Amino acid sequence: MEFTDSPDQAELREVVRDFLGRHVTPERVRAAAAGSDGYDAALWMRLCGELGLTALPVPEALGGAGAGFAEVAVVLEETGRVLAPVPYLSGAVAATLLACGEPDAARQFLPGLADGTAKAALALDGEVTLEDGTVSGTARNVADGAAADVLLVRAVDTLVAVRAADADVEAVGTLDQTRPQANVTFRASPAITVGVPADLAQDLLRTALAVEAVGAADHCLAATVAYLKERVQFGRPIGQFQALKHRCAGLAVEVESARATARAAVWTAVHDPDSLAVVGPLAKRHCADVFMHVTAEMIQLHGGIGFTWEHEAHLYFKRAKSTQLTAGTPAQLRRLVGERAGLI
Amino acid sequence: MGGQDNDAAGDAAFRDEIRSWLAANLTGEFAALVGKGGPGREHEFVPERIAWERRLGEGRWIGIGWPQQDGGRELSWQQQVIFHEEYARAGAPARVGHIGEQLLGPTLLMCGTPQQRARFLPGILTGTELWCQGYSEPEAGSDLAAVKTRAVLREGQWHIHGQKVWTSLAQFSDWCFVLARTDPGEQRHRGLSYLLVPMDQPGVDVRPIVQLTGTSEFNEVFFDDARAAEADVVGAPGDGWRVAMSTLAVERGVSTFGQQQGFAREFEAVLAQARANGGIADPDLAARLVDAWIGLRVLRYTAQATLGVPAGTTPGTEANIVKLLWAPWHQRLGELAVDVLGAAGTEVGPDYDLSDAQRLFLYTRSDTIYGGSNEIQRNVIAERLLGLPRG
Repeated sequence: MEFTDSPDQAELREVVRDFLGRHVTPERVRAAAAGSDGYDAALWMRLCGELGLTALPVPEALGGAGAGFAEVAVVLEETGRVLAPVPYLSGAVAATLLACGEPDAARQFLPGLADGTAKAALALDGEVTLEDGTVSGTARNVADGAAADVLLVRAVDTLVAVRAADADVEAVGTLDQTRPQANVTFRASPAITVGVPADLAQDLLRTALAVEAVGAADHCLAATVAYLKERVQFGRPIGQFQALKHRCAGLAVEVESARATARAAVWTAVHDPDSLAVVGPLAKRHCADVFMHVTAEMIQLHGGIGFTWEHEAHLYFKRAKSTQLTAGTPAQLRRLVGERAGLI
Repeated sequence: MGGQDNDAAGDAAFRDEIRSWLAANLTGEFAALVGKGGPGREHEFVPERIAWERRLGEGRWIGIGWPQQDGGRELSWQQQVIFHEEYARAGAPARVGHIGEQLLGPTLLMCGTPQQRARFLPGILTGTELWCQGYSEPEAGSDLAAVKTRAVLREGQWHIHGQKVWTSLAQFSDWCFVLARTDPGEQRHRGLSYLLVPMDQPGVDVRPIVQLTGTSEFNEVFFDDARAAEADVVGAPGDGWRVAMSTLAVERGVSTFGQQQGFAREFEAVLAQARANGGIADPDLAARLVDAWIGLRVLRYTAQATLGVPAGTTPGTEANIVKLLWAPWHQRLGELAVDVLGAAGTEVGPDYDLSDAQRLFLYTRSDTIYGGSNEIQRNVIAERLLGLPRG
């Protein structure tokens, strides 16, 4: 099992982190959230075109870079770190799935996903049935659903691709304004089989969410530690107080454990996908819980300023909760892991 | 949990080698040692485990990561992990030579003279000389630099006076490495020396401490004009703090993986108990069991990710992070082990004979104290990893 980046991955990480660090400010995240579709279109174009990030999981024959999910994960940790207001996670997971599925679906959708002219969303938690090549039913709280051109939909155990134009997509308001959602209704919508088990799709999504959570949690801890070094009370930086230091040390342990777990899940997705049934939900549960804890502590350790709309802490706090509650709640994932590991 | 499934070809052959050796040697007089000496059972079968230590030495299974020129096998980190995993998987007995192998040996490799390495490493490698660690004192626990034990050089010998405490296995050890103040004019970290002291002499008195388990692993050690040879100081006189810190830095690295194999066995026992008595039908216990299993996975991933990196590339707080994960995890497992038993978990045998679950429950309180309390570990992480200012 590999936990460290290959030289190429390390270079990719540095490029993406540097780019996002320079271009994605909390103000820009906020502005995108307040915009019409919740995205930063200019940023998206640069990530797709200039950096070619959407092409990573797509085979070269279909206009992609022929990399894989390990490289996607490198990007996800960095987009998560800054809450990049782009639908990268949904698109990259969808592209990864299409790239290992049936050639028909891959040929139809991957070129658009590779160059960013098309967006994807994952509707894996709905009540949707498949009949005669069409799907019917409803999927709620579909992340990035409103902007999507193609939806990968779970119809019982089968993963199918549906054009958004063939479904009723209704944008909904979200607690986490950095990731728009939609409710989607299918009425005999034409569906193309992807050729990947729906459970695997769900576990890959969970892995992606875990990785993204690690990047975000890492940022929240770093920002909190930086604040404790500069905030002076009682005539000294409050980071000198052991009560606060110990909490940060505890968070650091949690973040390291989350990083290791997310990377183990990525490795499993690439090298041992059969085991992702356990490791995917396990990683999502652990990393989302850590992310939630770190953001709650971020607010508390910033004091009053951390409770304001102006401060970035609430953006992460809300993202953490949406990460925790989508693609399986902590309690649901614990049960799932317990059952799949044969414990209960 | 991965491990054996992911071995490279050479590593797989090595895993077979250690597996076969353990299968062939944990027989006869040693068969009864399987599963012995673990948490809360450190008092069990000590003479037999000392004999087992020699058997390990004959098989050249001690110091397997050490340089060949010092008698080791110079095995890769991955193969050392495999050794510890297989050792634990076979239920081979808890080691009594680990303090020499894992603490003193590496310290001598780093700071010892050629003469010291030649004199002391063979005894460790053959399992014929056992060591204990003379660091903590009644007034110097987490604050190790407050040691008061003093040593004076007179007529070619160090004369040692003072008291050490929490000295594991002192009653069975041949030697003790002692941190003592040799320059009375100096304070705190300065003026300390790292002395190698024979235990079998009139000036050394060992008194076992009865722990809350009712058993004794730890001891008090009293030095009343105990002697050490002038040459048996590691590093320069007065430079003992630096030497001692290098010992602490090597503590709990690769052996963590064997420890986790032991944790997995303990977890399996708790799970089996919950299945046997129906406790698993309780949603709360079931949830805690799954959480414990998840926690063990997370612990393993974290150890692999952090301890596996080449030395010198990180701030050196990996062992602190891993300990802050495993020690509370182990405590929670101990609590779960007795909770699964219900009221039956409150009953003990004659002479306070404890069940494994009870031993685990009681013994694990020490996990967050010894080897640097959780509070000290958090100080280290806050200051060295996060760069938060000292108070």
